[in-house]
Amino acid sequence: MNTGPYSDEKVQKYIAAEFIPVKSQCVWDKRTELMKQFDVAWTPTLLVHDSTGKEHHRVVGFVPVDDFLAHLKLGKAKMFFNRFRFADALDNFTTVIEQHPDAGAVPEAIFFQGVAHYWKSHDPKGLRRAYDTLAARFPQSEWARRALPYKQIPL
Amino acid sequence: MADIKWEKDFHKAVELAGKTNKSLFQDFWFDG
Repeated sequence: MNTGPYSDEKVQKYIAAEFIPVKSQCVWDKRTELMKQFDVAWTPTLLVHDSTGKEHHRVVGFVPVDDFLAHLKLGKAKMFFNRFRFADALDNFTTVIEQHPDAGAVPEAIFFQGVAHYWKSHDPKGLRRAYDTLAARFPQSEWARRALPYKQIPL
Repeated sequence: MADIKWEKDFHKAVELAGKTNKSLFQDFWFDG
């Protein structure tokens, strides 16, 4: 039976369309090989992998539906980004930002949207825009501080 | 409402992901 975010129809549809879902049980007194392989020390631990099984994104702890969907999409975006597929990454970071504006994953998505834009176009203005957006919308976020060097880039 | 069809074997799931070119989502859970 699916409980928590998994009982939500949007989550079910998104997972069915985009992922092969797998549940791996944790055993604390005798860690499983998968727990050791992925350094899992708390539950829930949610991992987004590419089609070869390589991890690209991780969430530890409960997340409600909107945050959950944003993390799944951020994971897909990071998977494209890590493979230098910057146009696909850009589309997916933008999806997180536009479809889940209040989700906790958004500041990270804005940061990497700027970087993906830079890699795709070699125009540094995308980095500056990422800083401006983070400074305006999420000034307390660590991602705003990470983007601070881009403040110097002229628009 | 369609239930999610969970795989229970990670390695089988990777095999399926490779065949279908889908990403893989893994939920580590604890039945406390």
